[in-house]
Amino acid sequence: MIDGNPVIDFHGHPGRWGDSVNSPERVLPAMDAVGIDKAVLFNIWHPEGTRANDDTVALIAQAPDRFMGFAYVSPLMPEGMVAELERAVDQLGLVGIKLYPPFTNIKLNERPWFPIYEFANARRLPLLWHTGIEPENWPCYVGDVAPHFPDARFVCGHSGNCPPMREMAIEVARANENVFLETCSTFRTPGAIEELVNGAGADRVLFGSDIPLMDPRPQLGKILTADIDDDAKRLIIGQNALRLLDRG
Amino acid sequence: MLRGVSGSVSLRFSAQVPVLDANVGVGHRHHRPSPFDSPAELIEEMERHGVARALVHHQMGETLSAVTANELLPKWCDGNPALLQQWMVSAEPDSLAQLQFAHADGVVSSVRLHDCAAVGERFTEWLYGDVLAWLQQERIPLWLSIAEDWDRTWLSRVAGIPADEVLTTLAGFPDLRVVIVGAHYSHWAAVRPLLNRLPSCVLELSRYEVLGDVTRLVGTYGAARFIYGSFYPRYAMGPILFYLHHLGLAEADLAQICATGAEELLSR
Repeated sequence: MIDGNPVIDFHGHPGRWGDSVNSPERVLPAMDAVGIDKAVLFNIWHPEGTRANDDTVALIAQAPDRFMGFAYVSPLMPEGMVAELERAVDQLGLVGIKLYPPFTNIKLNERPWFPIYEFANARRLPLLWHTGIEPENWPCYVGDVAPHFPDARFVCGHSGNCPPMREMAIEVARANENVFLETCSTFRTPGAIEELVNGAGADRVLFGSDIPLMDPRPQLGKILTADIDDDAKRLIIGQNALRLLDRG
Repeated sequence: MLRGVSGSVSLRFSAQVPVLDANVGVGHRHHRPSPFDSPAELIEEMERHGVARALVHHQMGETLSAVTANELLPKWCDGNPALLQQWMVSAEPDSLAQLQFAHADGVVSSVRLHDCAAVGERFTEWLYGDVLAWLQQERIPLWLSIAEDWDRTWLSRVAGIPADEVLTTLAGFPDLRVVIVGAHYSHWAAVRPLLNRLPSCVLELSRYEVLGDVTRLVGTYGAARFIYGSFYPRYAMGPILFYLHHLGLAEADLAQICATGAEELLSR
């Protein structure tokens, strides 16, 4: 909590990537130091999804009051995709979906992804894409998809990342009520958070850190040191995430 | 003792110790205008975060011309005492001579190398040895950026100086004080070898977001090996300063990183 406000980190990874290792011993002290209550985690390293989602659940089990998880699947292995989503959500208790188009060479507005979008739409799940300069995940493709699945809540991870893609992500969020913008990025350019808030509205922006690839403290610092009012900060650091994770 | 416990976090942040931002660029880059165009605008941003002083170089020198940057910088700063001027150096034939002339007037307290990798040059002894030898002889510290650079569209990037070139070239100048700027999480494997093998080097922290690693590094090497820089306006000024205030560092270590370390380097 920060000044009595909940803090939800909407972007984190279990699994290992070089020195980036997610364990409660490494992650929780950093979260505690700045009042982060919970982190959303997803493992993107296994295309069939099963190992990825089992890893996510195993990490959540070590600190269930601090972590929650999203399911991962990939259209590289389409035959088991929806069945794995059903298992991950219905049996394992994961509460959203994470997709990573750069691993697939399939643009996120192409049909192989659609069974996933239909699943998210039917269950009113949040679905977070990596968005950025890679050719598979330009934010404009989100704009192609979002109107056709109005009950899903689509989140542009990294808000497009670099400045021109960020502008594109803002345009998509302005045009689609079910599109949200998540903030983690190494592109900590001045005014980035202000641009998201002024362009799409503070109620459409979500704090994320990419933990444990990046320490969550400077990523939270982006929000708290931005030139925006306190109400906007409250929405971004936690209130919007709570609203998005409520499937009612 | 400052402790980064959750009870100390607020929706609003300002530095709690004196701060000298050791990495700020001013002026417009040829392909990327700066978001500010006057000392007053920069000072306003610094004051918003509790930054009292900044070490500034002219961004024109990063990839275009260090000589031109050095000509433009004093005019841009307009004598503002909060802005400490940093000279730049490159492989331009008259760059070193320009520095030596200025140094004779006593106005050179630090030098920043242009982004040699971004303009297709390697950081080698045969290209920069004369500059490095002179800086070492005159006890002038060198700021060396290893950050990548991005093109006008942000769609493609040029890698920064490889750690191998940094190690190999600086090994020949063991008494040269060097501030390595812009280490990123992608440099995590190189950071400790650099600190171990270059005992005169200091790491600037503007981009170093490896989970919990600043705390571990300070514990291993001491706070004197690290300084705060924001890399503004490439990066926002506040996030890393906020980060440093929530590492649970002793107040003396925080003060060392936020200002004292840079002051010591600049006073030699």
